[in-house]
Amino acid sequence: MNKKGKPFTIIAFLLPALILFVGILIWPIIASVHHSLYTYPTFADPGEFVGFKNYTDLFSSQYDFGRAILNALILAALSVFIQLPLALGLALMLGKGIKGERFYLSVYFAPVLISAVVIGMLWEKIYNPIYGLVTKAAEALSISVPPEGLLGNPKTALLAVFIPTIWQYVGYHMLLMYAGIKGVSPELREAAKLDGATDGQVNRYVVIPCIKPIIKVSIIFAITGSLKSYDLIKVFAKDAYNCSYKVPSLLLVRYAFHNAGGIASAIAVIMIVMCFGFAILVNWLFKERDLYGKK
Amino acid sequence: MKMKRLVSVLLAGVMTLSLVACGSAAEPATETAPAATEEAAVEEPAPAAEEAAPAAEEEAPAEEVASDEPVTLTMWCIATEGDSNRHAYEQAIADMEEKYPNVTLEWEAIENEAYKTKIATAMADGNDLPDIFFTWSCAFLGDFVEQGRVYCLDDTLAKYSDELPESMLGNTTYDGKHYGVPTTMNIVALFANMDLLAEAGWDHVPVDYDELIQCCDDLVAAGIIPFGCAGGETWCVTEYLEPIIEKSIGADALNDIFLGRATYNNPDVAKAVDTFQEMIDKGYFDPAGASLPNDDVKANFMAGRTAFYQNGTWNCADFANDEEFLPKVQVTEFPVIDSSKSKLGQLIGGPSDTLAVAATSENAELAAEYAAELGKLICHYGYLDGCGLPAWIPYGDTSDINPLTQSVAEICANADAYVLFGDTAMSAVDKDPYLDAVAKVYGKELDGQGFIDELAGAIR
Repeated sequence: MNKKGKPFTIIAFLLPALILFVGILIWPIIASVHHSLYTYPTFADPGEFVGFKNYTDLFSSQYDFGRAILNALILAALSVFIQLPLALGLALMLGKGIKGERFYLSVYFAPVLISAVVIGMLWEKIYNPIYGLVTKAAEALSISVPPEGLLGNPKTALLAVFIPTIWQYVGYHMLLMYAGIKGVSPELREAAKLDGATDGQVNRYVVIPCIKPIIKVSIIFAITGSLKSYDLIKVFAKDAYNCSYKVPSLLLVRYAFHNAGGIASAIAVIMIVMCFGFAILVNWLFKERDLYGKK
Repeated sequence: MKMKRLVSVLLAGVMTLSLVACGSAAEPATETAPAATEEAAVEEPAPAAEEAAPAAEEEAPAEEVASDEPVTLTMWCIATEGDSNRHAYEQAIADMEEKYPNVTLEWEAIENEAYKTKIATAMADGNDLPDIFFTWSCAFLGDFVEQGRVYCLDDTLAKYSDELPESMLGNTTYDGKHYGVPTTMNIVALFANMDLLAEAGWDHVPVDYDELIQCCDDLVAAGIIPFGCAGGETWCVTEYLEPIIEKSIGADALNDIFLGRATYNNPDVAKAVDTFQEMIDKGYFDPAGASLPNDDVKANFMAGRTAFYQNGTWNCADFANDEEFLPKVQVTEFPVIDSSKSKLGQLIGGPSDTLAVAATSENAELAAEYAAELGKLICHYGYLDGCGLPAWIPYGDTSDINPLTQSVAEICANADAYVLFGDTAMSAVDKDPYLDAVAKVYGKELDGQGFIDELAGAIR
């Protein structure tokens, strides 16, 4: 191939991917920003230009968006500080090569394959304040549970939503980390062992630093997944007017189909900014650690 | 026959008292005209219509279906397997298959809440709408009419004027044009399990508010939970809150608020909300209901967990179908709280269940005829099943109507005024802050003052 034809060839090969990238990712973001500046009473009608009013309105008590953001951030924090350590613990345990490794791997991963709606309905029965497993078990153990049930009490509702989330996704994060752990060179482990390191020290000083890029990806997935959470919460929240369950996605869907497309687009833009923001923050945090380590 | 006459005359007449008005053209419905005059006006055609109805049914297919060319119509509704109206829909559709052999109806039933999202999405988009769709009247349908998505039924309904009183069309009339075929009408009523009341020493349903409170105290003392309310579905909370507000401030005042003629900034509304919360604080409501869906709460009532269940009168069908439960249950209206502002006969409800035709339908004219006939049949079978009171003048043998529906007919016959369900009367934009605030009231996150402050700011 001559030098003259090379740029055109590159463009020709990149163009389909570029079109897909712009059409599926970039353009919808631009469109959402544009829509968020109008009222958009219907999909076809942009309505009145209102500038940033949709954004300021969102934080009034009418929309409860502040509450929704707070709920999403609580879910994200619980995911990072409870779900991921649990997943890491399981991955480290299985990564050591225990007996029945494959079996446990399948068992922990199985909930990921079940539909969130099925999981939601299953856990709704488990939480039922009259005949639910949790209620009956608490009664048997003389532990007090709120008479409204865990889902009906505003103080425990979000936690009740988070437990099935852990149950569902811990296997997913465990599998990512497990794959990373299996990729750690056995020589490194053996060398550490020869130097007298315990299992815990091997994990802390050898395995975990090696799988840091995977942990970073898991953290980003956990945070963005929590900020975007919808399906499981929708099953519990039903008509989504109960404040305990409000998350940005529920409000987005509601306003998109209730003659307030501008508000829905503003929520979408804020969610995009938050997801990108957290992804950049996590990347930066891990980068800083690397630099510090190098010093 | 007596029952039929009672219902056909009084319901049609009483509906003219309805305070609900959706569009500018629905203004006549706001008039509180003397009942006797209105009833007399409706009464005249009723007997004739009763006789004429079956004959009209027989003639209809030959006249209406101009061509024998096979046509497929689509319909969306909420008559799912568990819905009280399911049987009425199935019966009506079976009849329609015989009457319109060339028309194939492909119908889909979607759960209530999911349906609201589905129909709103389809309307916003304008594509993929079914030919015929179920809708609630007033603002719910009004939003779609405003978007230009609904076919005008003036020509079609003109043929049914003897069977469908004009007074029943007020909630589906916008700018003087008719857009909906009403099926049944319902009100919010208080159902009582008399066996449980008897355990607390009560042999009758409380007739005034003081008696109700005393009865609830006696029930609590006897270890029985008075009320079941599904906090998981906020519309079920409105079935308690709206009658309490109406019986505290009066139907006119509540209607003015729902229709935007007055703001929520009304201390009497705050007081009514506080009354509701006092009842919750006193342990009158089953705490387990906070997160449960309506089906579970209704099942709890039927299983004897709660003594009262306040909800729509479409439930009469399910209660009547349970032979063991039917003898235990009685139906009444929520008692008056402030007699200086409200009185018995001021009810929440009215004709709301409606069939409409999409303007995008390729066979809109045929779909309109089909929807009218189908609506009439759903009304007929729904009334026989006890799913509500008929919007159409009843025909055929109605002597076997269950006693609960008969009681509801009597309540409606003595009605003074109707205020349509709040979430139906309001536009989609106003409905959300309203239901948000109602959920917060039930969850004790807002008190009465907080409720009116929030809604006065959110709803203009």
